Formats: sequence, structure tokens, C-alpha cells
Amino acid sequence: MMIRLLLLTLLVTVSAVSAVSAVSAVQAVESDPIQSPMWDYTRQQFIGSAPYHFDERVKVLLPAFAENPTQVPLQIDATALAGDIERIVVWADLNPIQHIFTYYPHPDVIPKVSLRFKVQQGTAVRAAVLTQSGVWHVGSAYLDAAGGGCTTPSTTGNGSPFWESHLGETQSRSFPLASKGGVRFKFRVIHPMDTGLADAIPEFYIQQVILQNAKKESLARLELSQPVAENPVISFDLRDDLNDQAGQYQLWMRDNNGNEFEKAL
Amino acid sequence: MKSLFAVFLLVLCSSVYSAPLQYNLTAREIAKDTWVVEGKTEDFSPANGGNIVNTAFVVTGDGVVLIDTGPSLRYGTELRQLIGSVTDKPILYVLNTHHHPDHFLGNQAFQDSPIYALPETGKLIAQQGNAFSENMYRLVGDWMRSTEVHLPGQPLSVSQLKLGQHRFRFISMTGHAGADLVVLDETTGVLFTADMVFYQRALTTPHTPDLKQWIADLKRLETLDFKLLVPGHGPVSEGRVAIVQTHAYLSWLDKRLSQAAEQGLSMNEVIELPLDKHFDQLAVARKEYVRSVAHLYERYENAMF
Repeated sequence: MMIRLLLLTLLVTVSAVSAVSAVSAVQAVESDPIQSPMWDYTRQQFIGSAPYHFDERVKVLLPAFAENPTQVPLQIDATALAGDIERIVVWADLNPIQHIFTYYPHPDVIPKVSLRFKVQQGTAVRAAVLTQSGVWHVGSAYLDAAGGGCTTPSTTGNGSPFWESHLGETQSRSFPLASKGGVRFKFRVIHPMDTGLADAIPEFYIQQVILQNAKKESLARLELSQPVAENPVISFDLRDDLNDQAGQYQLWMRDNNGNEFEKAL
Repeated sequence: MKSLFAVFLLVLCSSVYSAPLQYNLTAREIAKDTWVVEGKTEDFSPANGGNIVNTAFVVTGDGVVLIDTGPSLRYGTELRQLIGSVTDKPILYVLNTHHHPDHFLGNQAFQDSPIYALPETGKLIAQQGNAFSENMYRLVGDWMRSTEVHLPGQPLSVSQLKLGQHRFRFISMTGHAGADLVVLDETTGVLFTADMVFYQRALTTPHTPDLKQWIADLKRLETLDFKLLVPGHGPVSEGRVAIVQTHAYLSWLDKRLSQAAEQGLSMNEVIELPLDKHFDQLAVARKEYVRSVAHLYERYENAMF
């Protein structure tokens, strides 16, 4: 009888302890604001076990619905964390290839970047900003989509031989930024950006984009993945005091076939 | 008591879940022999079954001319019954004004009548019709049951038609969808613009060749002699007021996108901009604006480099 009572007490204690630890575990892990089923998986993939929290200051601008699933506009604005950023990793939870791009902004650059990407179905989109203290700040937004963007052949790559004679042709222009000085570089490069997921079309996409100043310092570096939309249109924002050597900026890109493209901005 | 509750539940369930989907279409006689079936100024939804479009028919002494067939077989079937309740005359001409799904997916209900469309519209329906149809199933659900693409079999090659006491003029345009048929009944002075003109509902731009082309087409429409205008979406109006509104919106949109591109804005930043106060009261204004930016901004952006 005594032993039974003891066992019972023990059991109750154990369950009470485990209940407490469960509660503290819940407190330690913030729940995903989007409640995406893939959050744990993609977090492991891109952040690992590093500390993180959801941070609304990391702005992920998306339309509510992907009107054209092969050209979804996406803008990441981490200006609130400017100067403290190691890198920004951007992905779509439910894309077959999740990673969209990683951005390494120079500390003097305004950490705001825009481009367009392909979406396969409605998904959470994340921008995880790694700060110098080693903590990730995660911004999220949800994009609704009818889908199919990743498995649709590119229009220039497959539908016409246009890209073959224009591959890597780059147009660019700078624009003064309206708010508190600064300059925006926007460029467009002809490239099919094939994902490898459309039937019988191998992956063929630009992997690296670097914006250098006259001293060959990298001001902004992008690592792109297959979901970036064909004929990418990308914009970087620089602070005004960096723009004292107009015409001295150089854009350099390389695709996964080793083609390099350069353009003076 | 319990069994009474069960009966109540049963009644409730059957009324909610097994009631047949019905549009309950009604036709309004807006001019002599001329009937309009007005849709809601909404976006496609499971609640409205895609009934967001205006269809119309003219009962001439010889037979009926039908302008557009609606978004689904179910709509087409109801529309046919509605015409039958107004006249015993045969349906001699079915017209598809352009290749958007809410204007031709009711064709199946009119398979025994000749269905006419501009030659380019026929091609576009053949190319894109199935994709549109699939998307409609996704957007409105069961309302679409058994709906399949039935192509307009007759390329419209005449610009005039005399039927009974009515003289019709067919005007071929391109501004809204790449191929757009406008019908003027010269006898009654009713202009059926289809989606070349929207009224009190924001217009849609997924297949416009160019906003400037659309504006040029509207200038042609403004010169026509008519009394009443039946737009593709929105209420029937007298005179040119609906053309003026469509024209003003297109001009504003064109200017907005040009200026944004000139300032180097990203597509996301353009989407975030507020609407002009003249247009933010239009039905689904914000949603259609965002869609139009997605359709069109890339062209303006490319032109800036």
C-alpha cells in the first residue's frame, strides 16, 4: 500500500515536472506568426539551431496574391537593423526549391533590396536577418497563389531563342531616393533563370551578383537561387555619401554555367 | 425535445447543403426589345458563382441576338430559360465579345445556335479557354460543375447586321483583351461595350495590349451616336458618363505607372501607393489596382532603362 502511494506520488511529480518543462519549452520557442507547416524544417535548413526571433522590423513586402506566379514582386527592407547585418536569407516555405536569395549588404549600404521570383503554391515567405551578435531576426509574409510558377518553362528560354543572342545583356539606371537622400540602382539582365523543374529544361540561372565600388570593394552581394524570376529586375539602395564617384560602380554576375556578365553602372 | 432538435438540424443542413445552386437571373428591359441581365460589381467568389458580368439580349422580329453567355454552364442554362420566358423566337446570333471566362463559359447551353466571335477571340479562347475554365473552378467551385469550353464556331466577318427591325453595327477593337467586340444597336441607340467600358467597378487589365491603345479605342467610342450604354461590368447608364469614367481611370493608371517607373519605384512600392480619391470608391478598386500593377508595371519599368 505504502509503495503504491509512493509510486503514485512519484508519477504525479514526474508528470508535473514534465508539464513545467513543456511550458518553458513553449515559452522559449516563439510560434510562427504564419503557422506554416514547413517552418521547423526550413528554419533548421537556413538558421539551424541558432537563436532567432520574429521581428516585424524586418519587412517582407509582397502582394496578397500572386497575379503572375512567374513574376512575384518581393522587397526586403531591413533598414531598422542597418549597420548590424551579416546577411539576409530569403526563402519561400512551400516552394520546391525554397531558397530565393541571400543578401550580404556592406555596413554602409541601405539594406533594402527588391526583385521578382517564381512561386509554386501559396506559401509563407521569410527574410531572416543574421546580426553581428549571432541572433536571427525573422520577418514573414504570406503569399496566396494559384501556383505553377516554378514548373512553367521560361518564356525567353524555351518559347523563343531570344535569350541566346541577348544572354546577359544588362540595362541599368540610378534614381535619387526621395526619403533622406541616397540613390537606388536598378538593373535588368536578360537570362532565362530556368529552375530545372520544367520538363527537359536543365537548370540555368544566375548565382552571383556583386556591386563593387571603384576600389573593388563589394557593396552589395547577392547569391541567387533558381526561383528568381527570368530576366531579373533587381534594385539596391545606397546611401548618398557613397555616391560621390558616380559612374565608378561595377556590376558583376555569374551564372551556373560559368558565364560572367559585367556592366558599369 | 431531442428529436425535435434533430429534425431542426436536418432541415437546417438540407437547406444549407443540398439546395441547388441558382443564380436566380432576372432580365430588365432597358429599351424596346432590349434586355439586360446585370451581374454584381464584385470579384469572382463561391458566393456569387461568377455572376459578376452583364449579359444582354435583343428580341428582334426574326429572332434573338444574345451578347455573351456568362461564366458557367449553369449560368448559360438559366439565361436560356430566361430568354425563353420573354420570347418564343429562336436564338439566331450568340456573340462572345471577348475571350475572358465570364463572357463565354455559358456557351454550352447554346450549342444549337451559331456562336459568333471576332476571329482573334476564337483563337484566344482555343488557346487559353481551358486554363481559364480551370481557374474558374478554383475561384467559384461547384457553380462550374460540368462546364467545359465550347468554342465560338463562327468567325464574325460582317460589320453590319439587319435582323427584324433592328440594325446592328459590329465594331472591332483591341484595348481591353486584344480582341474586343462592341455592338451598337442603331435602331434603339443602345451601345453594348462589353469590357471596353466598366462603370462603378474598377476595370481589369490582364490582356490589354497597351493602356494607350485602350484609351484610343475609347475616343472612337465617344464619337458614336447612342443613348444608353451597357458596360461589361456595372450599371447601365445614359450618355457617355461610363466611357468618361473608364477613360479617366485608364489615364490616371497610365500616368501613375509612368511616374512610378520614372522615380525608380519597385513593383511592391507601387502596389503600396494610395489610390486617387476619384477612384477609391469604385467596387474592388484596391484589388484591381494591385492586379493591374502586376500586369503592367514591368513594361513601364523596362521602358525606363
